[in-house]
Amino acid sequence: MTAVVLEGSGLVKRFGPTVALAGAGLAIGRGEAVAIMGPSGSGKSTLLHCLAGIMKPDEGEVHLLGQRIDTMGERERSALRRTRFGFVFQFGQLLPELPADENVALPLMLGGMSRGDAVRRAREWFGPLGLGGMEERRPGELSGGQAQRVAIARALVTRPAVVFADEPTGALDQATGHDTMRLLVEATRGNDASLVVVTHDPQVARWCGRTVEVRDGRILTGAGV
Amino acid sequence: MSALPGLSWRLLRGGGRRNMLGAALTAVAVAVSTALLLFAVSANLAFQGRGDREAWRNPVPAQGGAVAVQAVRTDYVREERITVVELAALSPDAPPPPGLERFPAPGEVWLSPALAELARRLPADQRAARFAGKGGGTVGDEALIHPGELVAVRGWAPDAAVFAVRDGRETDGPREGVAPTRISDFTGKPSFDAQGYQALALIASVLMVVPLLVFGGAAARLTVARRDQRLAALRLVGATGGQVVAMTAAEAVITASAGAVAGALLYGLLIPPLTRIEIGGGPWFAADLWPGVPYTLAVLAAVPLLVGLSAVVGLRRVVVSPLGVAKRETPPAMRFVRVVALLAVLAVVPALSAGTGAGVIAVVLGLAFLSINLAGPWVVGVIGRVTARTARGPARLLAGRRLVDDPRSAWRTVSGVALTGFVAGFMLLLSPTADMLGESDASRLRITVPAERAAALTGQARERLAEAGVPAGVEVTGKGEERTLVVALAGGRDAGEVQAGRGTRGASGDAQGSASGGDGGAAAAQVDAALADRARTALDGLVPGRSATSEADEDRFGLVLIGDIGTGTLVVLVVSFLVAVVSAGITAVSSVLDRRQTYALLRLAGTPLRVLDRARRAETLIPLAVMGGGSIAVGVFCALPFAVTSVNTRGLVTLLACVVLGFAGVIGAGAASAPVLRSVTENPAPRPD
Repeated sequence: MTAVVLEGSGLVKRFGPTVALAGAGLAIGRGEAVAIMGPSGSGKSTLLHCLAGIMKPDEGEVHLLGQRIDTMGERERSALRRTRFGFVFQFGQLLPELPADENVALPLMLGGMSRGDAVRRAREWFGPLGLGGMEERRPGELSGGQAQRVAIARALVTRPAVVFADEPTGALDQATGHDTMRLLVEATRGNDASLVVVTHDPQVARWCGRTVEVRDGRILTGAGV
Repeated sequence: MSALPGLSWRLLRGGGRRNMLGAALTAVAVAVSTALLLFAVSANLAFQGRGDREAWRNPVPAQGGAVAVQAVRTDYVREERITVVELAALSPDAPPPPGLERFPAPGEVWLSPALAELARRLPADQRAARFAGKGGGTVGDEALIHPGELVAVRGWAPDAAVFAVRDGRETDGPREGVAPTRISDFTGKPSFDAQGYQALALIASVLMVVPLLVFGGAAARLTVARRDQRLAALRLVGATGGQVVAMTAAEAVITASAGAVAGALLYGLLIPPLTRIEIGGGPWFAADLWPGVPYTLAVLAAVPLLVGLSAVVGLRRVVVSPLGVAKRETPPAMRFVRVVALLAVLAVVPALSAGTGAGVIAVVLGLAFLSINLAGPWVVGVIGRVTARTARGPARLLAGRRLVDDPRSAWRTVSGVALTGFVAGFMLLLSPTADMLGESDASRLRITVPAERAAALTGQARERLAEAGVPAGVEVTGKGEERTLVVALAGGRDAGEVQAGRGTRGASGDAQGSASGGDGGAAAAQVDAALADRARTALDGLVPGRSATSEADEDRFGLVLIGDIGTGTLVVLVVSFLVAVVSAGITAVSSVLDRRQTYALLRLAGTPLRVLDRARRAETLIPLAVMGGGSIAVGVFCALPFAVTSVNTRGLVTLLACVVLGFAGVIGAGAASAPVLRSVTENPAPRPD
């Protein structure tokens, strides 16, 4: 049996009268890639945000490696997101002012690493992800697929326990999307990290080992490890 | 096209809390700009008004038939100047002078309200006896420079002795006295002093208005920055470039109009306290500081138009391409030509001199100001590259990259304070102190007397002083037709106050001794003011048309002028600082609003708020330190041709205060925007899905 890295149970989240999560529960194993699927408004992104410590659930618990994280203060959750989690979003997560290598190095510098070391470590990711020669380009000078690969490098550079991806291929064409998913899954697995992907695209979900179906804030299938 | 204004209004109202906050910030910025712009306009009009009201005392000789004869002299009481106007009608058609209901009849004395009040307060032997005569009435406001001015108008017969004064000297106008002049009306001409003050007011206005315009422009761009995304979306659904421009202009003009009206009301409220600012020896009439309906309407129309224009210029990116906003590429480096423009203006500065016309100086100053504003973003870009290259931590790296990415925006935040640095630097060498006047003697009153009557008048003076109980020595000095009768007062003996600067040998002896120490400001106190006034009163009329004045009296205008330059500097600096700090605060908040997505994602990825705060501080303070220092240096350089003083303590203290206040203001403004940063990053993923 795979060891559980991240687990949420009985998660409830309301936005005014709207119930986004209605007692959802989900466990993620070490090195596992899980796709969370569901139609718009089903609560899949809210589930991801609660699991990643971005939001506090109104009810329920979230544990990372056995440690409860939903009760932590904002500062601790912020530190957790910086060190133990990585994020890849549809677009806009790269800082437009920074060149690609510094975008990747930023989380390491935030963790206290010197700039020289951080940039050196960051650049090591560019070759394997097919980004050789693009280290000094700025996000505006990269194609959509290239920008997502930089985002993948940034998500993994801190060697996190879990990488969260919210519609990572949503802004890409099908071929580039496939390419990006392949790199994301392989790089995550290669680093012994787990992957949680929120998507509504079955093609994207197919890259993951398990698919969890969310409807009306509840998990329909695939909740367990 | 006709539906556009309505749509603009709905978009403005329906933009949500943050958009409304943005619009409110713009409106506040425009309100402050409008109020200060009205102040700058009014200041010029006010000095012009003073000049016009004083002009009748600076007569122009009649070319044809004269209707009156007029002489002006200066007397002093309680260390304040009294302007005495002597008038005699040559014809029954002589018009009444300004402020008087009728032409003063021989023997009549008309006093300004402040002089009448002083006459009531002081013993007759110190003032009232000097203007003995039949009370004619009160000199009206339209004939006075300021409400507290001391003016006496006396009526005489045309053959009166006061008009027989032989005086061939050229004077600068009423302050130094005007020899009897036959006039055909009371139009007169503005005095040299009034023109000087108007020139200084013009220069001060330039120093205030340029930062205001920069600030107003920045405020307009802020509106556009927030609208970028929405307007790009409008382009995507097929709005034409013209429609987008029209909507943006409409939105900016609506916001700016509200701000401009609020600014005009704010200025109206500020008029009463502003009238208390003493310049030229006194405060202001409220009417002086009211610019009048045409000017107010012009400002109210011009400000929204300028803001709208600035907004349209800022929109070009969106109009060019619907995707223009989303794409972020390496910005082209700022062109060095911006610095060349500054260097070109600075190259002209050494050619200026104190004799250069005020208009030329104002233009050069304005250009220097504008070229600093032009060079600012280039320098910020360079600073950014250096900061980014040398950064070790994330905060400085973010700050440096941000400066390189958008140097114009970073410059907008600090430009106000940096431009104030220019003003402070400029003023550093133009802030004369009373020390410059040296020591002036208040204990020796002097009257010019005809040589042939010198001996007789000396005797009369001794008698008059003895009768009035004023202990003083009297002697005659000089050669030629005009001699000087010198009355050396025994300093402060009966008042027991300040001792005289120079002693006397006795009632008949020659005055001699050494001046006491102290600066010019204290010089007038070398002798008791009451004693001096008694002596002046006793000597009044000894030589008709001439007053007994001391060296300190003559330096008094210099002291007033020095005080006025200090007040003017302070006013300009206060205005600049208001603009700078409000500008820094608004741009800081706006910058957070504009970059909320970036900040939210950084927070989401675990970036501590303190790192974001540090980065924001660094991206403001680093350029501020460099550009503030640079602007001060440019200001000092621009002032060199007119330097009236070397660097003095007062100038340095002012400069230091500016530096401290500038940094404190910008840090405070940044801190004020911190809650906004917290609010926009509080919930980095607000979508319920």
